[in-house]
Amino acid sequence: MKKTSKKTLGAVMAGLLAVSLAACGSSGGNNNGNAGASPAASPSSANGGSKENITITFQNIYPDPTDPKNKILHKIVSQYEAEHPNIKIELDSLNTDQQKLKLKTQAASKEVPDITVVNPSAQMKPFVDAGLFAPLNEMVEKNGLKDTFQAGILDYYTFDGNLYALPDGNNIALVYYNKSLFEQAGVKVPTTFEEMIEVVKQLKAKGIQPMTIGEKDTWTGSFLFMNILLRTNGGPGFLKDVLDGKKTFEDPAFLEAVDAFQALVQAGAFQEGATSFDYNAGENLFKTGKAAMYFMGSWATGGIETSPANENGNVGVFKFPTVNGKGDPNEFMLAPGSAFAVSKNSKHLEETLDFLNYFMLNFPKEAFEAKGAVGLAQNVEGDFKAAGYSDMAMEVLNMFKDVKGGDLAFDNTMNPGTAQAHLSSIQNLFVTKKDAAEVAKEHQTAFEQNKE
Amino acid sequence: MNVLKVSRWTIAVFVLPCLLLYVCLVFVPILVSFYSGMLDWNGIGESKFVGFANFGKMFASDPVFWPAVGRTFLLAGFSMLVQLPVALLVAILISRNVRRPNFLVSSYFLPVILSVVVIGQLWKTIYNPASMGGMINQILIKLGLESWTHSWLTEPKVAIYAVIVVGLWQYLGYHILIQFTGIQNIPADIYEAAKIDGAEGFKADRYITLPIIVPIFKISVVLSFIGSLQSFDLIMVMTGGGPAHATDVISSHMYNMSFLSMKYGYGSAIATFLVVVCLAATLIINLLFNRLDKRFS
Repeated sequence: MKKTSKKTLGAVMAGLLAVSLAACGSSGGNNNGNAGASPAASPSSANGGSKENITITFQNIYPDPTDPKNKILHKIVSQYEAEHPNIKIELDSLNTDQQKLKLKTQAASKEVPDITVVNPSAQMKPFVDAGLFAPLNEMVEKNGLKDTFQAGILDYYTFDGNLYALPDGNNIALVYYNKSLFEQAGVKVPTTFEEMIEVVKQLKAKGIQPMTIGEKDTWTGSFLFMNILLRTNGGPGFLKDVLDGKKTFEDPAFLEAVDAFQALVQAGAFQEGATSFDYNAGENLFKTGKAAMYFMGSWATGGIETSPANENGNVGVFKFPTVNGKGDPNEFMLAPGSAFAVSKNSKHLEETLDFLNYFMLNFPKEAFEAKGAVGLAQNVEGDFKAAGYSDMAMEVLNMFKDVKGGDLAFDNTMNPGTAQAHLSSIQNLFVTKKDAAEVAKEHQTAFEQNKE
Repeated sequence: MNVLKVSRWTIAVFVLPCLLLYVCLVFVPILVSFYSGMLDWNGIGESKFVGFANFGKMFASDPVFWPAVGRTFLLAGFSMLVQLPVALLVAILISRNVRRPNFLVSSYFLPVILSVVVIGQLWKTIYNPASMGGMINQILIKLGLESWTHSWLTEPKVAIYAVIVVGLWQYLGYHILIQFTGIQNIPADIYEAAKIDGAEGFKADRYITLPIIVPIFKISVVLSFIGSLQSFDLIMVMTGGGPAHATDVISSHMYNMSFLSMKYGYGSAIATFLVVVCLAATLIINLLFNRLDKRFS
């Protein structure tokens, strides 16, 4: 009796052990946070259909149902599913920051979803170097997809002659301003940076908050700073020159930009406590009519258009002015948008490429109808005015026609290590006055330490 | 010792599943992260083994690291020297003077169940500049103390203290609850006996309550210390470690390094440091309390 009970015990224990081991194994996967998004194929069907049932995972950054892009996404996906009954598109919709983090975790374990979202140039380079993405060179030629894109835009997603991602947008930086607040203070749209500082002072004297910024998300201040640098440098390419070793951060153009930026901060342009405002909180000050100017990328147009500040077309836009008489207002901070990339290890590479081709072909048409066609990377046909786009949207669209080149954001040009040092150095200027030479030195040190 | 009358092997077999789970979920990740700490790795591509270079850089040439460590210990210090004594005092007062203490204790406990994001946003509005409707600054102005107003979360010198206050406030109720329960478990007849002997009020607390709840207090100390070392969410919500690293603690620095600067190996080295500090702290606290225990018993 005793012996049998011991045997039973042994068997039970062996079973438990197996279970606990299995738990260990699966927990490893869960830790990577990709339980739902691994490129899992649906079980191959045996239901008599000639085609295999396929699931494609589509990671995207359109989770907000009120965002036109979310509607466009769902519309195109359901159209495609209706035309291809054997294919199911599984959406993994995340906020931008969540998606960035999730993709990095997934990339670490080489389990990238079939379609995912990356940012241009330096930001997507590590993923490309790790060989995670499939080249899209052939796919983009199919159905004339390549010709729908604006000239030159695909270069930001091309490495060694291979195209790895297709952008959903292309934006420029500009200044939105509140016309009635400008009237109250009796100021005009500034045409030079010096006038802009004067406008700030006059608004301030009237008790109006001159500008707003969400500087907790450090990139916002950097975006503005880089636009100043684009002017003081007399044109684009400063960071590229630094990367090529032709210039250093201790270049006079950089020092001048730091001084100009500090002049703006010291004039009291930004709201008190700006570094604790996140992007949305900062933008909301402008949207609710509590700040007179807002420097941002043209992607903000849609949200500002429908905000209280824009009642009766109260919001106008202007190009970022020249600084100390330098630079050309028609050179902009360029923001080629986030872009869709395809996993090289996708189990259904062919179908995924076919779907993305279909998606991008239909994207501009649907976006135009959903009034979300300002700042697309693709050419859009149609009469915007007749389709009911607002005056401000039209102004922004016209501004695109004046673009004569420009620079990308800092973190799209430099590697992440240098970029983080830069972001925090610029954030610091919002709270402490610093010598320009010291700021330049911080940048140069960080750049040299992070060199590959 | 073998009161169960089963062989050691049987005990081992029964312990095994749990032990395996524990090893897999706790020790293996720690070892893996220690190993990652020796890599030059961006988290995505190829990695390169660099030995202890990351650790060397961390200790010697990272300008953010040591201040972040300092702030972490500042947080822990405030937690142990301010939060816990206050919690103990409140717990004693409640259990002595309040007839139906449950309502009070639950109210103190309320912030603990609130999500940190909610609390962070709430306090951000409280700390806002007066022009944005910040409560503290408006009160100060009403009291005529305008020179005391600050932009609490964005002045580099003040910001970390502003965040610490919120952390202390949030977990005060947690420690009150722990210590209150401990005090409630002390049998009433001890106090009655003491009363006959002439010890009442704080005198009774000094000679009865304090010695008896030392083990409970130890739990509070360990929890608050480890909690402070690991504090992350509140910092991320309120300041994101800014302005310019002025409120970075060890864990937020680790996050920035691994996921924003994409130095996964370096981030892992910081994580390893954090684990070692946590283990060492637990050991030291245990040692101290063992001595304290011996003295009282």
